[in-house]
Amino acid sequence: MLMLAFDTATEVATSALVDDGEVLAERSSRARTLLEDVDALLRQGGANARDLDALAVGIGPGSFTGVRIGLATARGLALALELPGAGVSTLAALAAGAPGAIPVVDARRREVFALIDGEPSVLAPADLTFEPGTVCVGDGARRYRGLFEAGGAVIPPDDDERHLPRARFHAALAGALGPVDEIEPLYLRVPDAVRSVQ
Amino acid sequence: MILGIETSCDETAAALVTVDGHIRANVVSSQADLHAQYGGVVPEVASRRHLELVGPVVREALGEAGVTLDDVDKVAVTQGPGLVGALLVGLAAAKAIAWSRRLPLAPVDHLRGHVASLYLEPDPVEPPFLCLLASGGHTLLLDVRGYEDEQVLGTTLDDAAGEAFDKGARLLGLGYPGGREVDRLARDGDPAAYDFPVAQVPGLDFSFSGLKTSLLYATRELSADELDARRADLAASYQRAIIRALVGRVREAAAQLGSPRIAVVGGVASNSELRAALPDAALAPLPLCTDNAAMIASAGRFAATLAYPGYLGLDAYASR
Ligand SMILES: [Zn+2]
Repeated sequence: MLMLAFDTATEVATSALVDDGEVLAERSSRARTLLEDVDALLRQGGANARDLDALAVGIGPGSFTGVRIGLATARGLALALELPGAGVSTLAALAAGAPGAIPVVDARRREVFALIDGEPSVLAPADLTFEPGTVCVGDGARRYRGLFEAGGAVIPPDDDERHLPRARFHAALAGALGPVDEIEPLYLRVPDAVRSVQ
Repeated sequence: MILGIETSCDETAAALVTVDGHIRANVVSSQADLHAQYGGVVPEVASRRHLELVGPVVREALGEAGVTLDDVDKVAVTQGPGLVGALLVGLAAAKAIAWSRRLPLAPVDHLRGHVASLYLEPDPVEPPFLCLLASGGHTLLLDVRGYEDEQVLGTTLDDAAGEAFDKGARLLGLGYPGGREVDRLARDGDPAAYDFPVAQVPGLDFSFSGLKTSLLYATRELSADELDARRADLAASYQRAIIRALVGRVREAAAQLGSPRIAVVGGVASNSELRAALPDAALAPLPLCTDNAAMIASAGRFAATLAYPGYLGLDAYASR
């Protein structure tokens, strides 16, 4: 099964072409140029758009606009190529790439997204608790390196691959395939205007 | 056949238009009800809704036209101006559809899209003409010389005309979007009851913020009961002032250009007083006044078109 996977929730967008678990090609760039990566991946993998069997797409949490670019791209691909797909949490993909580590995504506004007891959550960096020696990965871990290291965390160097939610893990984690229109983003935060009305 | 997609503000829309300008499907899913509780469009709320609707509206348009993507020769999509987060949803989906099928893609300027609502069958208008584009986001006087060639003669210095209607409606305790509510209520009121000023600005530009302030002062002096009694008069007088400003500028521009054909497009083009005040003008068909994708597909017939892979890195833009 030829699967196209991508995640555009964080600053570095990742993508991969995976055939029955075998990674044929991988790329990383920015959300807004995702389709250039997709095009290059298929050429690298010697495949046509019509050869694709399924999509695995990152649903965040992360940048709202970034997540939507990925999901809108997935919806367009699924519509035109009649593909099923699965949504994969960006935090889960990070965790899969760094077993034992805590995945931390920058949520802006001095907050981070992290898995707390397995649940995606939004919290202040200072409220993230961990055992000394715990590895933290992701752009949130990089951004708050000083704070987390002061608390005893181990943060890999900034250019370490483990900070990226690599799309090969989305392909590996993709569960049951279904209609791509029904894959929902993981925002974890309501818009300000909605909050003020509530 | 051209597939058009529009997500620049609070309408998620898809349409199919033939290369000779016949509308085969025009699906618009308005978010107005969703935004009414906030009194205006909330960009993040709009973008979230676009993502939910973009797939379904494209499918619905294909179904309504009774065609498949095999029948589509080109994808046209709004690239800007508008809310960038909202635009990116439609743009990403459009690029993905075009890429999947190796179709060419026409990035469309939203304002040219409004003008292109005049180019559709059964009564297409051909350039040149003088065009008033008045909507919730824009108020422009355009010297349209060709399908891809127009000069801006005047623009608003503050609020757009449609925005003035919305803000006025709010002051009068009417719903959102306010244009239609003011228009309806104005029919029962006396347009001469209040003397709201038309702003004096140089050239062919517009200004509506002073008018809104005048309405605010007028309503502030009234008790709730008095406001109830005078609401229709206020709406009629307020509307009269907006329409006078628009029509006055159109007449001035027409005189400068030597009496060209006049056309009116955009959401405010559906206003009954404006339509009556310009009886000889070419008016956008009522269903195509507010944002829609048929006008985007229409513009896509004439817009510079990018062949695969030229559009893969295309980005949206917020302003021209
Ligand atoms: Zn518009």
